Amino acid sequence: MSSYIRAIRLVNFRNYRDAAVSLAPGLNVVVGDNAQGKTNLLESLAFTATGSSPRTPNDSEVVRWGAEFARTEMRVVAGGRERAVAVGYAPGQKKRLSVDGVRRDSLARYAAGEAGVRVVNFFPDDIRVVKGAPADRREFLDGILSSLRPAYARAAADYARAVQHRNQLLRRIRDGISSRRTLSTWDRRVVELGLQLLRGREAAIGPLGEMFSDALRALYGSQKAGMRYSHSVTPEAYAEALREAHESDIERGRTSVGPHRDDFTLLLGGVDLTTYGSQGQQRLATLALKFAAREYVREVTGEDPVLLMDDVMSELDERRREYVAGYFMESSQAVVTTTNREYFSPQVLKRARVVRVAGGSVIQEPDQKAG
Amino acid sequence: MARYARPVERLINELSRLPSIGPRSAQRIAFHIVRGRPEDAYALAEALREVKERIKPCRRCFNLTESEECEICTDPRRDASIICVVEDPYDIGPIERTAEYWGLYHVLGGALSPLDGMEPEDLRIAELLERVRREGTQEIILATNPNTTGEATAMFIAEELRDLPVKVTALASGLPVGGDLEYADEVTLGRAFAGRRAI
Repeated sequence: MSSYIRAIRLVNFRNYRDAAVSLAPGLNVVVGDNAQGKTNLLESLAFTATGSSPRTPNDSEVVRWGAEFARTEMRVVAGGRERAVAVGYAPGQKKRLSVDGVRRDSLARYAAGEAGVRVVNFFPDDIRVVKGAPADRREFLDGILSSLRPAYARAAADYARAVQHRNQLLRRIRDGISSRRTLSTWDRRVVELGLQLLRGREAAIGPLGEMFSDALRALYGSQKAGMRYSHSVTPEAYAEALREAHESDIERGRTSVGPHRDDFTLLLGGVDLTTYGSQGQQRLATLALKFAAREYVREVTGEDPVLLMDDVMSELDERRREYVAGYFMESSQAVVTTTNREYFSPQVLKRARVVRVAGGSVIQEPDQKAG
Repeated sequence: MARYARPVERLINELSRLPSIGPRSAQRIAFHIVRGRPEDAYALAEALREVKERIKPCRRCFNLTESEECEICTDPRRDASIICVVEDPYDIGPIERTAEYWGLYHVLGGALSPLDGMEPEDLRIAELLERVRREGTQEIILATNPNTTGEATAMFIAEELRDLPVKVTALASGLPVGGDLEYADEVTLGRAFAGRRAI
């Protein structure tokens, strides 16, 4: 049995002063009006499972207004054993991560699975992965790979740093401060690290594309969907291309080729969804991407990640709501927020855990016996 | 922030310019000195003065020394045909403590770093090349830090040395000995896999 989150406690997290929620395997429905704390609750689950918020890079935003610190504690059932994980954060201090009371020093390692549970989250704003800039798509892909392989996370951070150094060198050459003596050295360093990213992404894009295609077919219809990686440069031509770009790179003060300039295209019936997709198609494609991410994590780790889905039902018609509800019930755990519980059929609600959220407090509804 | 008498302010300011000492630590150290015995404070001042007056870089390897050449360079038992290249003088200590290395050193004085404005001319790379030519060195061991700037520096030096008749090696990176695999961090373990050897 895959792992799941049994309970979470939030202290000074966003609009919660001190609240506890107990969750069940399978479907959990978080019901509440707008601006009551549904999304914050989902965020806290991701925050505790990965050590960072999926909504903001700025940790101090999660601390309740006027409070000095935020703390979340989570009970995770993994491999038949329960563990206690906690994240504490006070602005200006290092985040404190712990598993069963033992401090964990490395955020990267914590994010790569030390909490014992992985999450795939969907927030309505994630439509930018489909609709937005290449950087949004790279972040999605690198996020999955980094959470699965700490070595990839490290290579990505080192690559970004090496590109920064190279860019600074380009500007210094342009401004007559530096000579070109070390440029080929930084080229080599950048290529060495960039190739690690390219290899990682290339290995993932094939299976991920097929999973995306299957997911979108189930959500949208019979048209063939796919995912295609678009290189700013191929691995074979990388070193050469970087050398050939010296003059123009120096002029611009920027590294023009490499994985930080790559993108991937999402196709539906041969058409690029980013440019030509309708709003509805883009929404479904975003959801399909998240389902594909879940399948991919499951294939690589053998464990079903927890799905954290914010306000996903309101965008779907009835047939799709039914399909998606079934999908959630078959997952090892899904936490889904909604303003309207009628988006779920009575039969589904009967088998789900329902939690009501109002003004930063939580009301746990008694479970109904499954019929 | 509260204002103190001018000499105290001055001491706090000087202390807070030191690496890894923030304003709060600087204040704590300053008040410790103000409260303490005069002899202790003069001893510290004297130590600071002495280190600046008497310590200089070794003319051969740029390690710190009181003489023209450092104790390692002048030790006749050391193997002068091997040079281990490090970024800073304090990198020598850990290598010496292994008691496994009996060659000489060369201190670069940092690493190539465009972001910090460190150029090859700011490091003792030309001096290293000159040494290899003059001393007929057989092997250069590059022991720069295993990070972005350290590895770029090692690459650059290896390239510069390519036309000279000297063997160039770099330290292996891998697992800490005596540790359990279970506790090794994934990045180190990943590198150890990439650099595995036949047995």
